[in-house]
Amino acid sequence: MHYRDAVPAVLEATRNLADRAVRPETPARLRLWTALVVSVAVALFAATSALMAQTQRQVRIIGDDAAPQAATASDLYFALSDLDAQVARLVLAGDDDSLAATQIDALATYRDRGTQIDADLQRSLTGAADAAVARELLDDLAVYRERVWQALTTTGDRHGFYTQATNVLHLQLLPGAQRLREASQERLDRAYARKQTTQRWGIAVALGLGAVLVGLLLAMQVWMARRFRRTFNPALLVATILTIALAGPAAVVFAVQGRKLGDAREQSLTPYLALSQARAISYDAAADTSRYLISGGLAYYKQDFTTKSACLTKGGACGPGGESVIGGLPQVAAGSEAMRRWSACQRDHDKVTGLADAGRRDEAVAALTGIRRGDAAFDFSYFDDAVGRIATARQAAFDDAVHSTRTLLAGWTEIPLGVAVLVLALVPLGVRRRFAEYR
Amino acid sequence: MRLLLIAALLLGVAGCDAARPAEASSIACAAGSIAGQGSSAQATAVTAWIKNYQVACSAATIEYTAVGSGAGVTAFAGGKGNFAGSDSALTAATRPQAAARCGGPVLHLPMVVGPIALAYNVAGVDDLRLKPATIARIFAGTITSWNDPAIAADNPGAILPTTPIRTVHRSDSSGTTDNFTKFLTATGGSAWPAATGSTWKAPGGTPAKGSNGVVAAIERTEGAIGYVEASYARFHELPTALVGNAAGQFEALTDEAAGAQVAGAKAVGSGGDLPLALDYGTARPGAYPIVLVTYEIVCAKGAGPLVKSFFSYAVSPAGQAAATRLGYAPLPDALRAKVAAAVAALS
Repeated sequence: MHYRDAVPAVLEATRNLADRAVRPETPARLRLWTALVVSVAVALFAATSALMAQTQRQVRIIGDDAAPQAATASDLYFALSDLDAQVARLVLAGDDDSLAATQIDALATYRDRGTQIDADLQRSLTGAADAAVARELLDDLAVYRERVWQALTTTGDRHGFYTQATNVLHLQLLPGAQRLREASQERLDRAYARKQTTQRWGIAVALGLGAVLVGLLLAMQVWMARRFRRTFNPALLVATILTIALAGPAAVVFAVQGRKLGDAREQSLTPYLALSQARAISYDAAADTSRYLISGGLAYYKQDFTTKSACLTKGGACGPGGESVIGGLPQVAAGSEAMRRWSACQRDHDKVTGLADAGRRDEAVAALTGIRRGDAAFDFSYFDDAVGRIATARQAAFDDAVHSTRTLLAGWTEIPLGVAVLVLALVPLGVRRRFAEYR
Repeated sequence: MRLLLIAALLLGVAGCDAARPAEASSIACAAGSIAGQGSSAQATAVTAWIKNYQVACSAATIEYTAVGSGAGVTAFAGGKGNFAGSDSALTAATRPQAAARCGGPVLHLPMVVGPIALAYNVAGVDDLRLKPATIARIFAGTITSWNDPAIAADNPGAILPTTPIRTVHRSDSSGTTDNFTKFLTATGGSAWPAATGSTWKAPGGTPAKGSNGVVAAIERTEGAIGYVEASYARFHELPTALVGNAAGQFEALTDEAAGAQVAGAKAVGSGGDLPLALDYGTARPGAYPIVLVTYEIVCAKGAGPLVKSFFSYAVSPAGQAAATRLGYAPLPDALRAKVAAAVAALS
């Protein structure tokens, strides 16, 4: 038979089916109820499962990509700042064997930071959005390392080479890292916004379609009780309970995961990134003390320390590059000893520069590199320990929040489908005997 | 009901996940002030330990002055400071004085291993192997070019340049020189005619002040070879020679190989006193022979809680890791356990 001949037959059969479904007779009404309940159930369970899967994907993107990228960009800025601080220590220590501990510690840290920077840039290269900036940074880093090598190996005056190196860092590398950081934070904002949209849809679907399905199941229950003179239909009752057991918790899961991840960002990730920025500024400021001695007392470094220290203690702009620490340490490291310990670093800076200005350079170097309490190297480590502890705690808190959100969402793609199978089996089971009465 | 139970189980399973390991490591702090003096070779490690300890323990103050092993031990025996850092065990002359100061036993606590590297700068060579006798002849000045048959015999198949050998040694007094010349004396036989000591006594070569000076001289001189603490060679990315041991192997300078050399040392003390007799001619497989072990010299009784707490941290895995980061090799596990037990028994 040609397919064109079959068309009228299909239309006729569809028309008959529709007529039977809407006819006021009981079997037709029963078919209509069943079709409606099954359709809404399929919509509810399929949409819930799909939205849960979407939420899981978005949480994974935030936890595995967007947040680590923001942390990487922030880490890069910090590592670059410390890299130059270590070079300043190395240049200052020179070939003086009495400063061997400073040299070795600075060399070890320089190497660690170099590895950290290379890894951060490697990660940035894998993202299309950051690759161009990362490549520029790699080029600038090669120039920086060349200047550092010249500064550390020249037998003449190291100061000129170091000035070139620190200029490359401050005028090219740090602004590039700043661009990466801003771009990564924008991506994080977008990832959160997308997840929030999914979350709203999820709650609307779970509560809206869930309420509709429960209403239909209850109405069908009442209709069947009246029509067939039975108190209740056990299969429909179980289907109703299952629907409530799924839709309610699903809405709660959508809401709770949103709150968890939102709180994690607000209370852990954003403060962590702000603290990382403050930490980078503090390393750069501390290095200004070394730079002051290396340069033979260039006022620029004293002024730069003052600006950076003011931004750490009171907040605001930390320099011409646009970097800032909102609220300063009292806000980004609230409730810790960081602020009190930074005050000691400020005193150390004043002491060291004062000794240098008085022509007592050896004493200034000793006060800068010493590890006694009240010496700059120790007091800065003491300050950094306070900041590092908070940073570690915040990073761990965010990681824990992502982990527990994933745990909360685990299995929620499959659960709606499992419940769907049960409900879609229970509804026909509940009406099968009633249909049989009419055969 | 069964259906509800299944549904409840499904919902319950959704909340399960593997537990994550917790991490915890802290220093058991003590309060007070202590001071030590002595070995420069361990000064970098001790400085890192002091910094870490003081950061963790706000009521503690520790000072260490690098005045050299001999001066440090003499000062300790004379009643100065709470401990001394020394690159060698107490001599028959100094031990009674130290014991008298302590009013009882005095202990050697090996705390850190300092491998000595042979760093070089030779065109086209990145895997240099040298037997101890060859090293002795190079530094004695009796081998003068890199394609010498003795070096070629140590490096079969390698293409060695005709470049003249330019040895670099320390111009100042140093524990590194003392230990390197001890190694040459013990293993070089007649190839090493000069005496041991903290100052370089062999003729020829390029003198350089300090480890940095040695490294810088090697970096800028083609055909150069010099001895330097491993950390300097490592951080300056200089290639280092594999050194032959009595087992017939050429060993690269690694923490494990340095540890194997120390693990093969004979403990010549008793109880918690742990002086080691290093055997430079060890036939222990896997051992890198040129290492320096430095000790903390302390009183067994009356050392005080801060000395005990500080060295408990130094010998702990965290303390050893802090030293390893700076180019030292960690103590082998068995020796570390003995030192930890000796520290725990301090009173």
